[in-house]
Amino acid sequence: MSTSTREALLYPTGAAEGLSEGTLSPRPVSLKGLTVGLLDNTKPNSTLLLDEIAADLKRDYGIGEIKHYVKDYFGTPVKDELFDQIVSEVDIVITAVGDCGSCSAATVADGIKFERAGIPTVSITSDSFAMSGQAMADVQGFPGFEFVMVQHPVASLDVEHIRGRADQAVPEALRILGVTETI
Amino acid sequence: MTASDSVDEALASFREMMATDGYVLTWSEAGDDKVVVKISATDGACEDCLVPLPIMTNIMAKALAPTPYELDHVELPGSH
Repeated sequence: MSTSTREALLYPTGAAEGLSEGTLSPRPVSLKGLTVGLLDNTKPNSTLLLDEIAADLKRDYGIGEIKHYVKDYFGTPVKDELFDQIVSEVDIVITAVGDCGSCSAATVADGIKFERAGIPTVSITSDSFAMSGQAMADVQGFPGFEFVMVQHPVASLDVEHIRGRADQAVPEALRILGVTETI
Repeated sequence: MTASDSVDEALASFREMMATDGYVLTWSEAGDDKVVVKISATDGACEDCLVPLPIMTNIMAKALAPTPYELDHVELPGSH
């Protein structure tokens, strides 16, 4: 891993002064009509997992428009240009999937970056890499950042099993977002 | 339980995590109450999946906290 890539992973905002910010953005309570951004990190089954979760949120919680975004590399946080676009276009972000060491850390870093920009965010990793995600939260100065951990593996699963992972993720995502109202 | 056993136990879950990406975790003593953690790649290791050094150091330092040892440093394979 190059020095620039490592720095990008550790300091996704490009500035160290924000690293002590450990406060979540305001929580939405209801998802009705909100635009949800799905940030796919290109790991296998990320798209499917995010789509399954979004379908549940559409059906049961009335989310509005769903926008899809794709990172160019799973091992580092989202680049500034795409980050700025997402922040300007959505109310909530869901990002997946951290099912390796670097990508779980990057997925958590993305979540923290969006939270600090005022966008409630759910980062999803597999439980085998919870330690990597938590370590990133610690290094970012946000040790209390919560993220969803679904059962490992994710990449090798078929559609039916991804559906099961979505079932695991949705209640935790709602809890993290502070959502209490269904439609 | 010996001090060595406590380190093995403390790092066991991390061994599993590293193995998932194709890496092997070993450790050795480095002077008084210090431990060096070494990560080695297997033939099937996912190079892009390796946790960067500062994150790995954070993980290992916390893991060793309950043991009589402190982390000296972490060695990652190749160019990492």
